[in-house]
Amino acid sequence: MRLKKMHPVAIMTSLSILVLVGAFLSIGVGAVWIPPGAIFNYFAGVEAGGDGYIIENFRLPRIIMSLLVGTGLGISGAILQGIIRNPLASPDVIGITKGAGFAAAAVIILFPSLPVIGLPIAAFIGAGLVTIGLYIFAFKRGVQPATLALVGIALGAICQAGIQFLTVKFPLETNAALVWLTGSLWGKDWTDVWLLLPWIVIVVPVTLFLAPKLDVLSLGDDVAEGLGEPVRKARLLLLIIAVILAGASVAVVGTLGFVGLIAPHIARQLVGNKHIYLLPVSALTGTLLLMVADNLGRGLFPPTEVPAGIFTAVIGAPYFLFLLRKMQKS
Amino acid sequence: MKKTLFSFIMLALILVVSACGSSSEDQASEDTQDESSESTEDTRVIEHEMGETEITGQPEKVVALEFSFVDNLASLGVSPVGIADDDDSERIIEPIREKIGDYTSVGTRKQPSLEVISSLQPDLIIADMKRHKDIYDQLSDIAPTIILPSLAADYEGIISSFETVSKAMGMEEKGEEVLADHKAKMEELRAQVPEDEERTVLPAVVADSGYFAHNMESYTGSLLESIGLKNAIQSGDERYNKINLEQVVEFNPDVMFHMVAGDQTVVDEWENNELYQDISAVENGEVHEVDRNMWSRFRGLISSEKILEDAINYLYEE
Repeated sequence: MRLKKMHPVAIMTSLSILVLVGAFLSIGVGAVWIPPGAIFNYFAGVEAGGDGYIIENFRLPRIIMSLLVGTGLGISGAILQGIIRNPLASPDVIGITKGAGFAAAAVIILFPSLPVIGLPIAAFIGAGLVTIGLYIFAFKRGVQPATLALVGIALGAICQAGIQFLTVKFPLETNAALVWLTGSLWGKDWTDVWLLLPWIVIVVPVTLFLAPKLDVLSLGDDVAEGLGEPVRKARLLLLIIAVILAGASVAVVGTLGFVGLIAPHIARQLVGNKHIYLLPVSALTGTLLLMVADNLGRGLFPPTEVPAGIFTAVIGAPYFLFLLRKMQKS
Repeated sequence: MKKTLFSFIMLALILVVSACGSSSEDQASEDTQDESSESTEDTRVIEHEMGETEITGQPEKVVALEFSFVDNLASLGVSPVGIADDDDSERIIEPIREKIGDYTSVGTRKQPSLEVISSLQPDLIIADMKRHKDIYDQLSDIAPTIILPSLAADYEGIISSFETVSKAMGMEEKGEEVLADHKAKMEELRAQVPEDEERTVLPAVVADSGYFAHNMESYTGSLLESIGLKNAIQSGDERYNKINLEQVVEFNPDVMFHMVAGDQTVVDEWENNELYQDISAVENGEVHEVDRNMWSRFRGLISSEKILEDAINYLYEE
């Protein structure tokens, strides 16, 4: 691919510009179309009336949410693919999102009177519990990447069964839970932004410091140990970081699929396997993917809102099949 | 190289943080101004599921996020400016569609478009407890918002929601009149059901994905019970249950009201099954297909009357 010859920094810059352009378009797109003039007015501080209200309260928080969640899921996926050394790894596959989903569904359905803030907390705890499960079943036995993936899939399946049980048992309450389970930026406001922002701002820079460790780990356990890397410790640390990023993201927007899987793949096509580049580029591709999905969901059939999770699946699944075919050929 | 990258990222984050900070403060200051300028008119406090909401004057632009509230407003003679109609005006039953005239769709009831709602500049928003609890803050920021039970309510709950809506609209007297008329109508309908009626009824949504029975505590079930039609399902802690053919046979209802969703339903398969033919309602030819929008989605005063008229029609005037 010709893009590969570009310098990673040039790629990062162009992706950042794309994100900015995407953000600008996102301000205009929606059930209420806002002309560029009104957008400029708003940012110039001129009174923009109802359009200004929409930009400030609905569009901007959603754009920042797609930045935060895209970053969180993209980097989480890149880390997991690095430590599990399997291109199929993602927060969905090792059961983190399913754990969050089960906890959230349980809260929505069984404790409907809980205050709104209870939901993200429960989801985050759900993700954490699955991680503890992963630790008990996978790490105690020498932590082979394959074990980690298989245990994750098993735990995910258990949570999925739980979700299914709840939706069959309580069809009426399921309505609200389903919106959450598809994953959507609908109804997200500044409160949600503040809820997620600290996690991303604190954890993402840490991941960049750990990028060299990921490079070493992806060489394989023997080589990594030979290079003096305490493999198990490093892997546990990185796993926890991946869980925090994915767990926090999913807790706020619901179980958005495919972003954590596809974003690192696209990033790998662009900048190769070096994690110091791969991580930030995964964040950017994740952001773009989510931004496009949210815009389609908002602008395609107004005033109907289609959850972003549906579009990430619609975009992600075919891309993934294309990728599998390509891998088969080579 | 690494250093520049870090500083770039930090810079971007700082920009984002500062931008968010300033914008939310602006909003807060605007809010306080709005409140102080309107405090002279008559103000009432409405208690609802999510707390208390102050409403000033008589709301003129009302947005309804569930069909119940459309029904409530239509009963009061008010036409909502915005309705979450799932982007399908056919879902609004005809007698009500005629009454309310034109409105703007604000999207699905599940995820109504906050942008469209705010662009309508409403002065009252009525939303459902189950569906819209999570966006109460955003809705309240747009306009005074009351959250009432609709999706999870039984007939009694629907009546009390109507009373709250008429209070919120500043139309308490009109509401009482409407309710008195409604109760008289209900009595009239009740009188058409003989005292010795012993047949059990089972209202259910039949879809491709299953048979969803409405028990005695559900809206439709409790409504039919209120005029003396006993529900076939008197147990269970859930109001709406997905049940299979064996369970239907077990409950053995004498009359079934099927709210059909979609072209192909589970009942189409069941009809070829001998077990299904043994159900009392099927044997007696008392399986009736009814309008799902009216029988299950609307949950209001007008629709309640229509449902009972329908039911009595099927049961006694053939």
